[in-house]
Amino acid sequence: MRGYGEISERLRRSTVQVRLPDGRGEGSGVVWDSSGVIVTNAHVARAPRAEVEFWDGRGAEAGVIARDARRDLAVLRVDSVGLEPCTPGDSSLVKAGEIAIAVGNPLGFAGAVSVGVIHATGALAGMGRQRWIRADVRLAPGNSGGPLANARGQVIGINTAIVNGLGVAAPSNAVADLLRGGAQPSLGVTLRPVHLGMQILAIEPGSVAEAASLKPGDVLLGSLDDLWDALDSGSDVLRLRFLRGDGRRVRETYARLQARAEAA
Amino acid sequence: MGQELAAFSTEISRLVAAAAASAAAVHARPRFSSSGVFWRPGVIVTAEHTVRREDDIRVTLPDGQTTAATLAGSDPGTDLAVLRVEGDAGTPVRRAERLPSAGNVALSVGRSENSGVNATLGIISAVSGEWRTWRGGHLDAYLRLDLTLYPGSSGGVVLNTDGEALGVASSALSRIAGVAIPASTVERVVEEILMRGHVARGYLGVGLQPVELPDHQKGLIVLSLEPGGPAARAGVLIGDIFVSLDGAAVSGTEDVQHALEKRRPGERVEAKIWRGGDGRTLAIEIGERPRRS
Repeated sequence: MRGYGEISERLRRSTVQVRLPDGRGEGSGVVWDSSGVIVTNAHVARAPRAEVEFWDGRGAEAGVIARDARRDLAVLRVDSVGLEPCTPGDSSLVKAGEIAIAVGNPLGFAGAVSVGVIHATGALAGMGRQRWIRADVRLAPGNSGGPLANARGQVIGINTAIVNGLGVAAPSNAVADLLRGGAQPSLGVTLRPVHLGMQILAIEPGSVAEAASLKPGDVLLGSLDDLWDALDSGSDVLRLRFLRGDGRRVRETYARLQARAEAA
Repeated sequence: MGQELAAFSTEISRLVAAAAASAAAVHARPRFSSSGVFWRPGVIVTAEHTVRREDDIRVTLPDGQTTAATLAGSDPGTDLAVLRVEGDAGTPVRRAERLPSAGNVALSVGRSENSGVNATLGIISAVSGEWRTWRGGHLDAYLRLDLTLYPGSSGGVVLNTDGEALGVASSALSRIAGVAIPASTVERVVEEILMRGHVARGYLGVGLQPVELPDHQKGLIVLSLEPGGPAARAGVLIGDIFVSLDGAAVSGTEDVQHALEKRRPGERVEAKIWRGGDGRTLAIEIGERPRRS
């Protein structure tokens, strides 16, 4: 049991900076275990490889070995020794009002600490049925992928987004699920809600959506919750109804889901 | 800090869990819900500025159920609205008997439909005496909050470390900070709203402008007069100059509001006025300010 100073110092040593090649983006990450597993956000790890820099200034090349867009989590692996892993906590025990401590690299400041309390836990509108942790701590974009810890210094979440000023973190138990069970099936699309459903803004190369001949601009009918429920139903093939162009006629396509990606 | 941090963390989350039995989410505006707190059995208090419709108001109760609520009344001046719900789904909060001091820890607890109870932590950053809001209401104290009020936080309860309600959170009463509407003010407004459906404000039916009198006294000259209004019935004429109400000098319109606040509509206020160089006293029966629709 420790105070703010000691906890944040321990967290800093487990927090890394993650940089994509060619300056395509950066964020934070957490050393999850001493074997070289590093956890960050899927929206930070958007390339097959990334550079990581540890608290002591050492750098390493990391391979992205799993990406889960729906949980917004990614797993990287480095071949480094002497890493200082974090202590993961059980996010199902997190309660509103608990002390929360975030460490990350906001706006280029390495190892910056912000403190506050857990605001709430539960589903978030537009982010599926899964549980998210919301914390009343001040975050900035470079905090993405960094740790959110409790008053015992245990990492209970991965800072992911800022919604209406509140920090939103993916729970640590979702990290455990990803490490154990691999990524949840996904279409590999960026969506935005529109009148009749969800419009596709972007399609990842090699994704299920690309194989199903979907194009940016198409509007998938139904809600995000419906889509995710269908993805989780266990069937290998998904029937998708969508509109294209003038939207006069409802089109159909079949998406073949990939076998679950193997995680570390 | 050693173990104290973990102990403090546990203590705060316990207070939040206990207050959850009194916290409701209020759905009375587009997009964001706001928070509310059970003040009495079946009676929820929320922030008036978050109540944008009078019908079809729903509340999410501490047990997670969402149910219909009726608007018992509201008081824009103090930013309070009072809702009633059927059944006994919420536990009324305990009220703090004493005002906090600047620097005391303050915990705001609210609720949203999706994620249940929510909390923010900070301190009371300033405490001062009676305060008139820009909306025209009268608060028993000014309790400034140094904690973040998020879009759904207004209307939630602000607690001390004993879990007692210091007041109700509002982000609409000050530009620079969130404010806790003091528990004693909430109690007074709730009492009045449950009794008569709204908070009555005294009204004279005059338009006034400050003027300086030849003897360097100040007064308020009557520029307009509501025909048949309280002042007109008492014999006030356009051009009369009010110098005191109930013996207290009036040099600005806020002095008039202050004098009227001490009396209820229907009672008489003694007005000393100047007319054509002569002083005279008129007894005006206070009316009730017409309500905004």
